[in-house]
Amino acid sequence: MTRRLQTTTAVLALTLGTLGFAPAVFSETVVDFTVAEYSSKTGPYFQGVADAFQAANPDIKINIQVVPWDTLLQRLTTDVAGGTSPDISIIGTRWLLDFASQGIAEPIDGYLTPEFKGSFIDTFMQPGLIDGKIMGLPVAASARAMMVNMDLYEKAGATPPTTWDELYEASKKIAALPDTFAFGLQGKEIETDAYFYYALWTQGGDILKADGTSGLDTPEAMAAINLYKKMIDEGLTQPSPTNYTREDVFNLFKQGTVGTIFTFPMLIPQIKAEAPNLKYQILPFPEGKAKATYGVTDTLMMFADSDVKEAAWKFIEFAYQDEYRAAFDKGEGFLPVTKNVAAEDYFTKDPDVAGFAAGLPYAKFAPVIANWEEIADVTVRTLQKIYLGEVSTEEGMKGAAAEINKIRGL
Amino acid sequence: MMANRLQSAVPLMMILPGLLLAVAIIGYPIIDLGWTSMQDVSRFGKLSGFNGGENFALVFSDPLFWESLWRTGIWTGAVVVGTLAISMPVALILNDDFYGRGLARVIIMLPWAISLTMTAVVWRWALNGRSGLLNATLMNAGIITEPIEWLATAGTAFAIEIMVGILVSIPFTTTILLGGLSAMPQDAYEAAEVDGASGWNKFRFITLPLMKPFINIAIILNVIYVFNSLPIIWVMTEGGPANGTDILVTYLYKLAFRFGQLGAAAAISLVMFFMLLAFTILYVVLVSRNDRDDAAPDAEVPDDK
Repeated sequence: MTRRLQTTTAVLALTLGTLGFAPAVFSETVVDFTVAEYSSKTGPYFQGVADAFQAANPDIKINIQVVPWDTLLQRLTTDVAGGTSPDISIIGTRWLLDFASQGIAEPIDGYLTPEFKGSFIDTFMQPGLIDGKIMGLPVAASARAMMVNMDLYEKAGATPPTTWDELYEASKKIAALPDTFAFGLQGKEIETDAYFYYALWTQGGDILKADGTSGLDTPEAMAAINLYKKMIDEGLTQPSPTNYTREDVFNLFKQGTVGTIFTFPMLIPQIKAEAPNLKYQILPFPEGKAKATYGVTDTLMMFADSDVKEAAWKFIEFAYQDEYRAAFDKGEGFLPVTKNVAAEDYFTKDPDVAGFAAGLPYAKFAPVIANWEEIADVTVRTLQKIYLGEVSTEEGMKGAAAEINKIRGL
Repeated sequence: MMANRLQSAVPLMMILPGLLLAVAIIGYPIIDLGWTSMQDVSRFGKLSGFNGGENFALVFSDPLFWESLWRTGIWTGAVVVGTLAISMPVALILNDDFYGRGLARVIIMLPWAISLTMTAVVWRWALNGRSGLLNATLMNAGIITEPIEWLATAGTAFAIEIMVGILVSIPFTTTILLGGLSAMPQDAYEAAEVDGASGWNKFRFITLPLMKPFINIAIILNVIYVFNSLPIIWVMTEGGPANGTDILVTYLYKLAFRFGQLGAAAAISLVMFFMLLAFTILYVVLVSRNDRDDAAPDAEVPDDK
């Protein structure tokens, strides 16, 4: 009896041991990677990179989840809250501070070799730097610029503007053409505030003053908003901007009914596909007291509670090879974040891409501050009230600045 | 005695599994929500200690909360009343026997098969100022000369959202009312016809009183659905312009998933839950008291004295 028990125990132990051991031999490390969907090409592109990586590293499996931008933050929020966060994810850089301050983002200084770090364009590394630690890598970058419809400018006998005064004068001429709007002004949903920051920055203002309080009540901000409001009131924009999202404004431009818009590089492939005969030109934003453009980056972030950081980092280094970066930037219409890709002919010679890239030396980024989404929402709400004529520009901007200062705790 | 007690326990035992399931599925999240609403919560849902009623104080001191609450009332009231006002005649017509009734019923029910989000997306396109179908149709018909930007101002946007809300609530409500109408005893109508009652009188004194339970259930369910309905407003305006079409649930969504204020969002959810609970209980009490008054006025007289 005792013997039998011993045998059974031995067999059992052996079996369990084998069972426990077997997966370790054949197991692969799984890296969960949440990818933001920039376009229909994003998913297949990253899957291609992952396949190539897995072919070279059969013991690591990259599990790609493509999530649309609109739901990405909500998705990550619920993932983190539920304890099922991915190992790496693409995020909007404006969210990075929240992730970092909650200890959810892993600082990557320890992983980043000097050579790898040196391959990035310095400007784009800055937004990922929080309290002296690098919390993420730039994964996509774009800068904004002005786009004009050359046919309309010629028809109206106007020259493309370099200053706000010139834009106003040219717009008056273009608005006189039948069925034409001079200036496309966004007033609805995502980035309605950005459309105003373009003017704020080029008038010499900023989102935050040096002391950290809101810059919306400065004379520069007033100059920017007063000109927008004047253009609405004089019929130089499309009617009712508050019904126009970014895409709606761009669609008007594609239809050839708008003279001037402010836009991003991703519009170029769309125009080539949908309105190939449109004669357009990419120019810097009109100047008031300063040159400026809006630089936007997205960040590749590693999660602090990931168990497979080594494997994840191996994949990151793999994915940042020049051939993959170039394919990504060209496919999605982004500006390169690495020096080697930026030096390629496509990005220096192509007038469209070069037009957007020209602004990078003086690009401004959204401030990396807490409660940024809430501050942006206050700004959008105020702009809409002003565009609708519910408050005066003066009253609206002062109120918004006060509200933002309160959110900032200043 | 013993048998009697056992007898009375049987129904309780029979609903017990259902009750337990309901408590587990509905009760747990509510308790969790209440727990969350009294704590400091990071934007990723990590709880970091009690803060008393701070979340509630924050919510109640926010003017946007009160504006959204007011608009939620308008939204719910207008959609529910509008839906009933349209569904009742539609149900009456569909209850009559006519050639092609089957087809007509299918057409009325069709919008039900399409998700709210899809309906809202289609309307958003149709209402686009420059390229929308609605403006194109109205201009071709010569009704307007200039395109109207329907969603540009809060007033028109909210009115249109209410109309879309009514449109999508009609199939469900019509189904409930139709069910009631087909269960209606026909002899009452025959008797009324013999007495020479007009069509309106038949509706007023026979149909309406007999339909009361069905109308009541339609009101309660619609109030709950509409009060909590996010997709239509979210897709069409995201509560804008300038928060002019925000109702509680869109405001709640922004607080939770844009601003990351999960504590305040939990507090609003709880407030919304109790408002609906209070409404439902109040309504059911009022209705059943009315019914008793109607059914047995004499029986209650001795009690009053």
